[in-house]
Amino acid sequence: MSSQGKVLLVGDNPFHGISHLSQERSRVRGDTPTNPEYAARLIGLSVENGADGFMFSVSDTTLLILDVLRKNGNNDGLRLYAIVPYAYEYVRLAGALGGVPGLAKKLVREIVFSGNFRAVVSGLNGVIRSDLASLFKTYLLYEVSRVRRSAGDKAELESVLLHQLITDLCLGLGLDWVFKFYTGFLLKRGITPGFNTGNFALLVKKLGEWDINLEDVVIAAPFNNVGFQMVPSKEECEKALAGLPKPNVLAISILAAGYLKPEEAVDYIAGLPNIKGVAVGVSKERHANETFKLLRDKLS
Amino acid sequence: MLKLSGDKLRVAVVGFGKMGILHAGILNVLPKVQLVAVCEKSGLIRRFMKNLFRNVSVVDDVDELSDLDLDAVYVTTPISSHFAVVKSIYNLEVASNVFVEKPLASNYDEAEELCDLALRLGGVNMVGYMRRFSATFRKAKDLLNQKVIGEPVSFSAYAYSSDFFGIDENSKVHTPKIGVLRDLGCHIIDLALWFFGDFKVNNAKIDSLIGGDSEDSAFFEVETEGGVSGKFDVSWCVDGYRMPEVGFTVEGSRGVLRVNDDKLELSLNGGERFRWFRHDLRDGVGFWLGAPEYYREDECFVEIVMRGGSVEPCFETSAKVDRLIDEVLVRAGRVE
Repeated sequence: MSSQGKVLLVGDNPFHGISHLSQERSRVRGDTPTNPEYAARLIGLSVENGADGFMFSVSDTTLLILDVLRKNGNNDGLRLYAIVPYAYEYVRLAGALGGVPGLAKKLVREIVFSGNFRAVVSGLNGVIRSDLASLFKTYLLYEVSRVRRSAGDKAELESVLLHQLITDLCLGLGLDWVFKFYTGFLLKRGITPGFNTGNFALLVKKLGEWDINLEDVVIAAPFNNVGFQMVPSKEECEKALAGLPKPNVLAISILAAGYLKPEEAVDYIAGLPNIKGVAVGVSKERHANETFKLLRDKLS
Repeated sequence: MLKLSGDKLRVAVVGFGKMGILHAGILNVLPKVQLVAVCEKSGLIRRFMKNLFRNVSVVDDVDELSDLDLDAVYVTTPISSHFAVVKSIYNLEVASNVFVEKPLASNYDEAEELCDLALRLGGVNMVGYMRRFSATFRKAKDLLNQKVIGEPVSFSAYAYSSDFFGIDENSKVHTPKIGVLRDLGCHIIDLALWFFGDFKVNNAKIDSLIGGDSEDSAFFEVETEGGVSGKFDVSWCVDGYRMPEVGFTVEGSRGVLRVNDDKLELSLNGGERFRWFRHDLRDGVGFWLGAPEYYREDECFVEIVMRGGSVEPCFETSAKVDRLIDEVLVRAGRVE
């Protein structure tokens, strides 16, 4: 387990065949990490070497991985950070199913067949009143129940984070009610609300303006030595980070998508204030061993 | 004459699908823009949007935008409706500055008519070929302009996605009727025009991989006015492309340049090798939604509208893409 209170999380990008350095690299890497059994083994190895949990977009693939972890008894005390919705998959499906109405039909079918009564009632209410908050609640109840069912009681769902695309879209459109509703809804259920963002500095500023207590939320955002995906700049993100009331940031893209050497990446993170933890993807057993040993040693 | 609110450009978005939402999100954070209205045909989406937005008008027809004193309109409706929507915007004088998501139209005749209208009525016009604003392709354009690989001799281009990989005829999933060339292939045709100038299509082949009359993959060969030969390969049924990807390999007299959405590689005849990822190419923007290139594209359009002048790719430039797609369809025997 990690020391110094920093949460060390296994990220799920390699399990979806994603490399932010280049798609070519993920194609070359092959499909091994996308096998749920193998992915669960990598998570198990990472935990043996210092990881505390798993940060993942909720998808059929990651739910299968959680199933394997539960069946193998590797879910005990596993700290889960779930990201919803798996936006890129939904965008792809919307294109293939005839736009938003086609996607909505598919999702409605899934929620109804999930047998989650509270979600269905809330959803009906939302449709009748054209109430987005009720539909949002329906969706969150559905996703939380899917994660809990797959992960089992021994794993701990610490936070549900809004996917980067949705966070940043709502941020761009100035939809403060989404952030307020989301935060309130999850806090009531004992889950820490989280936001995955590519616009860290702006999000911190807006959450403050909208009177959302920054101590109540976690934010997952890119932090790395080369400023990769740190918007609007590395300096502005570091300034916003320093101004936070407590360590509640999960640093992602710390390796700048494989561009940086792990030692260099971790040294940078170790020097930052208010970092609650980090999430790093691993695609090979050797990576799982070495990366989390390094994180454990350097961030302690 | 701009009709600014304070010092902000008054903008509407027509069509609130994924591209409309994306542009609205970016426009709303640009300091010089006020998102004034959204126009959407779907009653269901409109009903929800009215609950979503407090200070934005939600209407169902372009006519209703006429009274809103708009400076600019973004058209992000399905491709087949671009022609009718843009024509209405100009004819009803909704706004003189128009941005249309790529491609400009469903065929060259429509594109030409829109160019004539735009020319007659003035204003800034632009088409959303956002890869011209991508860090890697911009660097490639710079290197080609500097003749780093000498004179281009030939090129090959690809545009692949896995959007319909593994889909068969009996699936409930439907491919867009507009076809893979206008949906995905238009990007590499636009980039090739930008890199090498105009060209003619020598031969073409289009396949239906999913079945029926769907247009799922295309291969065609071209020759530019400067004598550069090119090959294009387009498909939305390729495994391993979670996100659509486009790329070029350009053979020059002094070396080879390879570029795609993620990286740029240069191999010079003397043995020197260079490689740049996005990380190396100052890919930062003021707000990140979708990809940095969308922000740069919108920022560029807004700047030019405020300042006056013209911007690339304009309607006239983009109409060439529609002309070339028509040529490919004719060569492949898809249309007469």
